[in-house]
Amino acid sequence: MKAAFRVLLVVFAMLAAVAHGQQPRLLIPDRTLDIIQDSGFLNVGMYKDFPPYSYEENGEVKGVDADLGRQIAEALGVEFRPYWIIPDENLGDDLRNHIWKGHYLSKTRVADIMMRVPYDSVFKYMRDSTGEMINEQVVFVAPYQQERWQIVFDADKLDEINTVAKFQYHPIGVEIDTLPATYMTSSFGGRMRDQVHHYMSVAKAFEAMASGEVSAVMGMRAELEHCLKSYPDRPFKKASNGFPGISKPVWDVGIAIRHTHRALGYAVEGAVDRMIRNGEVAQLYQRHGLSFSRPGYYDAILGPEEAE
Amino acid sequence: MRSIAIGKTFAASALALAVSFGAHAVTDQDLLNDHQSIDSVVTYGMGYQGQRYSPMKTLNTKNVKYLQPAWAFSFGGEKQRGQESQPLIKDGVMYVTGSYSRMWAVDARTGQELWQYDARLPDGIMPCCDVINRGAAIYGDKVYFGTLDAKLVALNKDTGKVVWIKKVADYQEGYAITAAPIVVNGKLITGVSGGEFGIVGKVEAYDANTGDLVWTRPTVEGHMGYVYKDGKKIENGISGGEAGKTWPGDMWKTGGAATWLGGTYDPETDTLFFGTGNPAPWNSHLRPGDNLYSASRVAIDPNDGSIKWHFQTTPNDGWDYDGVNELISFDLKEKGKTIKAAATADRNGFFYVLNREDGSFIRGFPFVDTISWATGLDPKTGRPILKEGGRPGNPADLDGEKGETVVAFPAFLGGKNWMPMAYSPDTELFYVPSNEWSMDIWNEPVSYKKGAAYLGAGFTIKPANDDFIGVLRAMDPKTGKEVWRQNNPAPLWGGVMTTAGGLVFTGTPEGFLKAFDAKTGKELWKFNTGSGVVGTPVTWEMDGEQFVSVASGWGGAVPLWGGEVARVVKDFNQGGMVWTFKLPKDRVAAK
Repeated sequence: MKAAFRVLLVVFAMLAAVAHGQQPRLLIPDRTLDIIQDSGFLNVGMYKDFPPYSYEENGEVKGVDADLGRQIAEALGVEFRPYWIIPDENLGDDLRNHIWKGHYLSKTRVADIMMRVPYDSVFKYMRDSTGEMINEQVVFVAPYQQERWQIVFDADKLDEINTVAKFQYHPIGVEIDTLPATYMTSSFGGRMRDQVHHYMSVAKAFEAMASGEVSAVMGMRAELEHCLKSYPDRPFKKASNGFPGISKPVWDVGIAIRHTHRALGYAVEGAVDRMIRNGEVAQLYQRHGLSFSRPGYYDAILGPEEAE
Repeated sequence: MRSIAIGKTFAASALALAVSFGAHAVTDQDLLNDHQSIDSVVTYGMGYQGQRYSPMKTLNTKNVKYLQPAWAFSFGGEKQRGQESQPLIKDGVMYVTGSYSRMWAVDARTGQELWQYDARLPDGIMPCCDVINRGAAIYGDKVYFGTLDAKLVALNKDTGKVVWIKKVADYQEGYAITAAPIVVNGKLITGVSGGEFGIVGKVEAYDANTGDLVWTRPTVEGHMGYVYKDGKKIENGISGGEAGKTWPGDMWKTGGAATWLGGTYDPETDTLFFGTGNPAPWNSHLRPGDNLYSASRVAIDPNDGSIKWHFQTTPNDGWDYDGVNELISFDLKEKGKTIKAAATADRNGFFYVLNREDGSFIRGFPFVDTISWATGLDPKTGRPILKEGGRPGNPADLDGEKGETVVAFPAFLGGKNWMPMAYSPDTELFYVPSNEWSMDIWNEPVSYKKGAAYLGAGFTIKPANDDFIGVLRAMDPKTGKEVWRQNNPAPLWGGVMTTAGGLVFTGTPEGFLKAFDAKTGKELWKFNTGSGVVGTPVTWEMDGEQFVSVASGWGGAVPLWGGEVARVVKDFNQGGMVWTFKLPKDRVAAK
């Protein structure tokens, strides 16, 4: 059924299963910190085929999330094991399928930790219309990066991008069903709408920019920087414009675990916090050729981050 | 095939042999006569037109109280969830599909299994709305069904062995098949289901014998249709003439309009009728225009896939009134004339009566108690007259935390969802399984998708009344009047059947299969099957006795999105059975 509203924020399956008292039958393994350490491995949940965060190349598990997962596993004294996640329609679905309940096609398979989960106190404490906490089965820990939207443009086509108004006149590529797609097609009375070209991924949008179909691409900064590496001979540049009116220009990314595994959460949080403070996470991004912004979470603790 | 022990294999094949002794190939004539035949059910819809009306009178309002279980059959295994299937019956064999793309052939006299087929589903399929299947098609010596990984499977109907498997679409791009395919004049015709991943709906015809693609027809404006002849792919016209007439920018390329509920066929006009789902993306403000052919009924030539006409129920759909509902052909007799009409009860809460020869609008009226998004239909065109403030908000208008909440009746699960209604030529009434619920919907900026900030819709589904959600209604297509209604606490999610015996059958999530008086709506009989009934009943005659069958097994979309509806359904247990009932011979005369 094509319910568009599946794309949405709130997972009513959670409601059905949890908020109203029907506890899910626990078929998933209950891997607490002790059990993980006894077993000698950590199942690190990461989105599949999602460069530069997590992906496989020639059988090798790559990406910044994979490498951070390796360092966390090492800190816990266990082996890193990739657990691939095919994204469902929203974060709530992914948390249900891979952290606290298991997917109904594979009920016994869940990750021990899940990477690239937004660290957002509003999301964390959201309640549904009956007053129940929507995400009570999950604990969000260890913010490790701040991600943001950005535009990359073809300098052969455009001199510079000071405002998005430019895209009333010039074609821009976006990934379908993302915030950039919504933003570019709805903002400013829809005046940029007809110039928006939709693609299945940011990489496909880059291919279209390379072939001259679009003059720019909007996406997450790290994805754009990763794609840029494939076009060293083209004058593709990062723009520094803002996105007025966008619902969320930047957001912190962290790690999710099951709410019954808080000891694991503390251990992961301790390891990641140390690596943020001693610069290891920043170095990790640097090794991958990616910009790094410290999570906004640390601004209150360590003071404002120095500009890039 | 599931592997089975050798002893059981022998027993099963001996049984298959015994049954197939009387088994014949299913012909075009069998399919054309299905609405009149009493010894078989060989189409999804109990007839091509989908009226779900049986001419049998053996079982009637007087004796239905003696209807009793004959046998029950378990789908087995740990795979339960929603059972939305309609069984087929041919030569004493029942062909029934189940959750997780499974099919069984069962001896219709005893309930003994003849064979089972389990589709081997790949890891990583992400079906949107439960792992259901709605039924099979049968033709020649084969039975056919669609799978969750978007394939058509042809099995030998007597052995269950695979004859061919064809990929209709790529499950990795978000496609699936859950509806029953339909065979017309040797062509096996199917639609596709799909999520929000930028899919484009289509209807396709395959050679029922070989599985070769015969034609394909996209259901979004701007996409080319093709016919295939002698291995050549020949252009057969762009759907809607050209791109960009009712869509902005390049959005037609990923416009949605999935044909997920399959279609009906009218032999009199030689026309297929397929419904199409909602347009993408979900927020209507991003795609001003009618967005054809989303949320429409599309009349298609079964010979080459050309579109004859269309009727759009919800232009620029912003509520997910996913207009796939079945269009049922019937003869509308009024003012001394007989009009070749067709009717459909839409997710959007309106019931439409159309001329099926040209798609013109005859009349339309609400079939639910409350509709909030439109004040009515234009009496000439049937186009909805929108109510101000009834449309969910523009994401560009967000300032602060949360968009303005709009209350919409019906909820996106619809005044009527997938479950088919029935039409009785005796009473000239439609029997509509409907639901009374609303949704609160708002733009929700605190959303995430695949590691990224997102702008989703927050929503909550709420029952419109304290004591019931489901309503089985008898609607008069001439007057728009509700002739009778039966309220049900849980939302109705199963199909309806009516008979010349003056009966209307449908199931409830509470587990009952129920029979009502077609004229008055009085409940005459019920039986609890042990799990929610979200399947569609059938009836047939065998050895001089009338049988009724229905699949039982709670699931489908309601438990996935319950919202406040979840309170009503949270204690319903899953299942996976076919229940078969009969009226014993000695009870037929009982008064």
